[in-house]
Parts: sequence; structure tokens; C-alpha cells
Amino acid sequence: MPEQLSIFELIANASALVQMVMGVLLMASLSSWVMIFQRWIFLRRVSVEVDTFEDHFWSGIDLRELYRELDAEDVLTGIEDMFVAGFKEYTRLSDQSGADTEAIMQGVQRAMRVSLNRQEEKLETHLAFLATVGSTSPYIGLFGTVWGIMNSFRSLANMSQATLATVAPGISEALVATAMGLFAAIPAVIGYNRFSARVEVLMKRYETFSEEFTAILYRAAHAKR
Amino acid sequence: MIWTVRQYGLPFLLAVSLHLALAAWIRGVWQPDRADPLDAFKPKMVHSTLLVLEPKAQPKPAPPKAQPQNQQKPQAAPAKTEPVKPARPDPAVEAARRKAEQEEAARLNAARDKARAEEAARQQRLQALAETAFLNSIEDESQDLAQDAADEAETVAQSYRYGIYQRVVANWSRPPSARNGMQARLQVELVPTGDVVAVMLIESSGSAVFDQSAEAAVKKAGRFEVPKENALFERYFRRFTLLFKPEDLLR
Repeated sequence: MPEQLSIFELIANASALVQMVMGVLLMASLSSWVMIFQRWIFLRRVSVEVDTFEDHFWSGIDLRELYRELDAEDVLTGIEDMFVAGFKEYTRLSDQSGADTEAIMQGVQRAMRVSLNRQEEKLETHLAFLATVGSTSPYIGLFGTVWGIMNSFRSLANMSQATLATVAPGISEALVATAMGLFAAIPAVIGYNRFSARVEVLMKRYETFSEEFTAILYRAAHAKR
Repeated sequence: MIWTVRQYGLPFLLAVSLHLALAAWIRGVWQPDRADPLDAFKPKMVHSTLLVLEPKAQPKPAPPKAQPQNQQKPQAAPAKTEPVKPARPDPAVEAARRKAEQEEAARLNAARDKARAEEAARQQRLQALAETAFLNSIEDESQDLAQDAADEAETVAQSYRYGIYQRVVANWSRPPSARNGMQARLQVELVPTGDVVAVMLIESSGSAVFDQSAEAAVKKAGRFEVPKENALFERYFRRFTLLFKPEDLLR
């Protein structure tokens, strides 16, 4: 047919509610992409930092030396923060006379667990938002579509003779909302799955490190006696 | 604050540029689709109107059309053949080139004149046609007034007209740019079976898309219900003007 509709004309001609739905979806898509890029950069940086710290840690450096080095820095990355928390607790407790090894180790483990929880929280920021966008935006888009189609059929009732050409623009216009919903949802779901897998890997590494570090401190505490 | 900007500035820029790129891409993908059929359509429309006009408007518009073409063709013909000749003798390359340039300019001028003359002729023909249509309608009315019996014929014709109009509207696909109050006047020609043989725009609505959609609607309808009596058909429906003015636009 002569008239090919531009997608922008469709959007401009949509009813107010459908346009609102489209606006919400656009915002959702924009912000979920901001989160995706931010998480991507953040998680990549964190895993690089974990690598470098572990290399440094296992290079045979004196732990006191490492602690002093890190304590001077203002911004600590996840794994560094755990090390500092554990080591600080250890020195504090072992300086007190009369503390037995078990009590020291319990304190150290508690301090590191707290730090680990805080790190997990940091790693998982925005993931809940991505999950929400991923699961709800198809429904929001569908709502816009259903509303638009409802309207276009209602206006069809006034026509004496119904042809495809009278409903098609309305339906096409309404379907843009579903397309936008899917467009917002798909990257959000992919991002959510990918990043939660990465967070899990990082958390595993943190936990492994904390176990190893506890073992080292335990040995040191025993040797002191 | 600075920390937030540092952490989210780059992601924000990336996300915005991604969306803009996507919008541009969609625009690019959808645009050619949109442009092509329109381009393909325009010449078709012009062509069909010309074909329709010639047999009908012979008495008046024929002379003005014949004149410009006769004048221009001899001019254009030598202009086309001559630039080839001076290219052959090699020595006077410079002179030849200059001459060729002059010829080129002359040809362009001739072409422009021709286009202008054709346009003028077309306008004239359109006007003539609109006038005859107007006169016809006036004649119809005066005849109706004179004859009492014709009143009934008029009401019958009116009901058929209404049916035709309904069919056109039903076959009309509303372009997004259509607004309430737009109207296009079309001239439609039928054969006694009711089949449409020609549609022509005589008064534009101001929107080319709307005009085209109206013309397309008539063509798509293809066939209308017309009176069986030959006299009635000949008088009202052989050639009639249709004021296309949809009131029940969606928005």
C-alpha cells in the first residue's frame, strides 16, 4: 500500500497512555543499560584487582608489611578490605594477653565474615534492578499493546465496513510498546544472569581467600604460643 | 558526587549513545521502505492523469499542448546531435569544448523551457477540466429545477452517491498525517458496470499523502453500485466529482 508508516510517526500518534508506557519503558531500558555498563566495568575491575592482590599476597611478602601498605591507602578494593579487617582483628586480639587461639580465630573469622557480607552487597548492587526490569517490562509493554488494540477495535465499531487498513495502523502502533518492552527486558535478563554468575565466582574466590588467610593466621597464632 | 559522576558518567554516556544509535538505525531501516513506494507512486499518478485527460479534454486543451511540444522538439533535437560533431576534429579541442559547453547550456535551457511549458499546459488542462465539471454540475442543477420528474432522479442519484462515498471511506487507509477538516476533490469516471476507469485529483487538500490516500481509496474500491437506468448513469455517474472529506477521523 502507498503508506508506509515510520516508527516515529507511530509513536507520535499513539494515545497518551500508550505513550506513557513507552516513556516508562524507554527510561527502564536506558537505566538498565547504564547499570549493565556500570556493572560490567566494575566487575571487570574487581576481578583484575583480585588477581593482582592474590599475586601480591602469595609472593611471600611479610603480612605486617602488606597490612601497613594497605592501611595507608584510602580506597580499598573488596579483597584488600577483607585482608585488612581480618589482620586488624588478629593483631588487636593477639596483643591482649590471655586470649587463647580459638578466641582469636573466632574474632578474626567474624571480622572477615562481616567484610565478606559487605563485599557481597557491593558486588550485587543494581542486580535486583536488572532482574526487575527483565521480568516486568514485557508486561508493561504488553499492557500498552493491549490498551492500544482495545482502542483501535473500539474505534472500529463506528465504521460500517471494517477493513484491515482501518485497524492495521492502530495495531501496529500498539505493538511498538511490546517491542520496546522486549527490547528493555532482553538485555536486562542477559545482564542479570551474566553478572550474578560473575558475582558468584568472585564470592567463591573471596571465601577461598578468607579460608586460606584464616589458616595462615591460625598457624601464626599457634606458633606464637 | 564526584565519585558518582566518575562511576556512572561513562556508563550513562554509553547507554545514551547506544539508544541513539539504535534509533538512528531504525530510522535508516524504515525510511527507504517508506520513501520507495512513494517515489514509485508519484510518477504513476501523474502518468495516469495524463492518459485520462487526452481523450476527454480534446477540444480546448489540445492546442496548447501541441504547441509547446512542437516548438521544443526541433530545438532539443539539434542540441542533442550537435555536441557529438565538434568532438571529432581533434586539433580544435579547446574550441570544441567551449562549443560543447554552450550546447549543453542551450540544451538545459531548452529542457527547462519545455518542462515549464508542459507544466503550464497541464495546469491549463486541469483548470479547463475543473471548469467543465463545475459547469456540468450547474447544468445538472438547472435541469433539475426545470423538471419536476428529475427531482426523483436526483434523490435516487443522491442515495447512490452516498453509497459510493461510504465505499470510498471504507476502503480508505488513514495516513497518520490526516487531520479533521482535510478535504480533497476527486474526479471519478465510471463505466456502466460501475467499474472505476479513472480517478483524478482536481482540488488538493494541501497534504500530498492525504490526496494520494484518497485516490488510492477510490482505486481500491474498484467498483461502485450505480443505477441500472442508462440515462441516470450517463447523467450522474459517467463522470462525477467526489468531495472526499472524512469526518470520522480517529483523532
